Amino acid sequence: MTVAIRATDLVKSYSQGVRALDGVTLEVNSGEVLVVMGPSGSGKSTLIRTFNGLETLDGGALDVLGVSLDATHGERQVLAIRKRVGMVFQQFNLFPHLSILDNITLAPIKVQQRAKASAEQRAMELLDQMGIREQAYKYPAQLSGGQQQRVAIARALALDPEVMLFDEPTSALDPERVKEVLDAMRQLAKGGMTMVVVTHELSFAREVADRVMFMDRGQVVETSDPETFFSNAREERSRRFLNQMQH
Amino acid sequence: MNRWLDRGITLLLLALLGWAGWSMLHWLLLGADWSVVTTNLPLYAVGSFPADQRWRPLLWMAALITLTLLTLVGPKHGWLRRWLPLFWIVMAPLGLWFLAGGLGLLPVGTRSWGGLTLTLLLTGGSGALALPLGILLALGRRSDLPVLRWSSAAYIELMRAVPLIAVLFFGQLLIPLFLPPGLEINRVLRALVAFALFAAAYIAEDVRGGLQAIPPTQREAAAVLGLSPRQSLQLVVLPQALRVALPSLTNQAVGLLQNTSLMAILGLVELLGISRSLLANPAFIGRYLEVYLWLAAVYWLACTAMALLARHLEVQLDPARSAS
Repeated sequence: MTVAIRATDLVKSYSQGVRALDGVTLEVNSGEVLVVMGPSGSGKSTLIRTFNGLETLDGGALDVLGVSLDATHGERQVLAIRKRVGMVFQQFNLFPHLSILDNITLAPIKVQQRAKASAEQRAMELLDQMGIREQAYKYPAQLSGGQQQRVAIARALALDPEVMLFDEPTSALDPERVKEVLDAMRQLAKGGMTMVVVTHELSFAREVADRVMFMDRGQVVETSDPETFFSNAREERSRRFLNQMQH
Repeated sequence: MNRWLDRGITLLLLALLGWAGWSMLHWLLLGADWSVVTTNLPLYAVGSFPADQRWRPLLWMAALITLTLLTLVGPKHGWLRRWLPLFWIVMAPLGLWFLAGGLGLLPVGTRSWGGLTLTLLLTGGSGALALPLGILLALGRRSDLPVLRWSSAAYIELMRAVPLIAVLFFGQLLIPLFLPPGLEINRVLRALVAFALFAAAYIAEDVRGGLQAIPPTQREAAAVLGLSPRQSLQLVVLPQALRVALPSLTNQAVGLLQNTSLMAILGLVELLGISRSLLANPAFIGRYLEVYLWLAAVYWLACTAMALLARHLEVQLDPARSAS
């Protein structure tokens, strides 16, 4: 099995000496779904943002799809990774001035130099896959949160990424809209996509994750298969967190 | 009791308005002598452009009016819709070139340019120059490079600290000093450049406001899609920022049009310059009211056209509009 992401002893500190990441080591295999859980401020968002260079590192070594990102990496490495790693944000971050179709085709046309017609055809396929084909010519403000987030997923998929990063993709959604986004992600996982998902959705983690990683205060507390994690977590800290989540 | 007071005030106001309206109408119909305007319409339109060449500025203005109407109506044909922005950009430079003697036409010195043509050329030309300069200054002010940031800020603060009329005089006197001897650019171009340099500082601040309104997450979203910083700016941030800045930019454009009247002091015979020279003519002595009312009407018309265009653009760029 090939390793998609290998992180060794990652350190990231903020100005007040707070360590957002305090020696994080992990591996993500190709085709694997890793769910990262933890209380807010535990460093889980910071962690996945280092995977595509949105956050710089203060120490440690990171290897993403064979490209190394350490404290001294340059623009070129970051760009090389971003072309192969997709990301979905909590707040969708669609481009409000572009139609749904243009949101999705912008990067394929401008970054990959694909022809407009083929990029649009691919975008329509992806919208179909997300179940929102009829929204193609609308603008983001005209869509519900769940629809916008599915557009964001389609936009990331349009570059044919090898890894997808999800940063709390359902946290900004109304409860009744969460399912449609999770369903899209389930489908993606079934297709064999390598995924790192930061989420509080326990049922999604239980059902889809290959492994669950629990973080607290910038450190990895434990990494287990979902069965073990949810019924019989090794660490006291994880059990406390799960107890709070379930009540 | 209060009601009676209200009624009294209403009646009084109506009486005042009626009286003012009646005297105005009376003067307009019986007292006013509009010959100062009617006999000088060509002067107001094109200045002292040679009579046999007048069709050139007139043609240019007709093209401008056509373009305005076309934009407001919203053409059905896709290609025309796509080309409209380009037409707007080239309109002023094309006008300058066409009037000066492009296409092998008889060269006409800027001394003979004037009237509404000159006002519109100065507005359009300086606007077309000031907008890109203003955008660059706004970007410079937010740059990571300290030298660029400081020099942009210094330029903007300096220009905003100096009155426009001083900048215009400096332009007339200083710009020739920077040019190699022998090369002389004419008064109109000098005024236009000075005007643009001044307006750019104000435009820069409007654009900066627009840039600040765009959340940093938009840049992040562009970055993770592999767009370079330049592409992110050009395709994601600037279009949104300019849309936000549009109402203030419209304000600047209207101000630009009004401020061209200051050029009359430099001896350019745009709308106000023509009016002043007509009033100095013994044949039209004392016709101040007619001339200035007429002038107000022309400025009002031009400003209204600009406001309509801006409103149209705002609606076009509204991100929440229904797809068409």
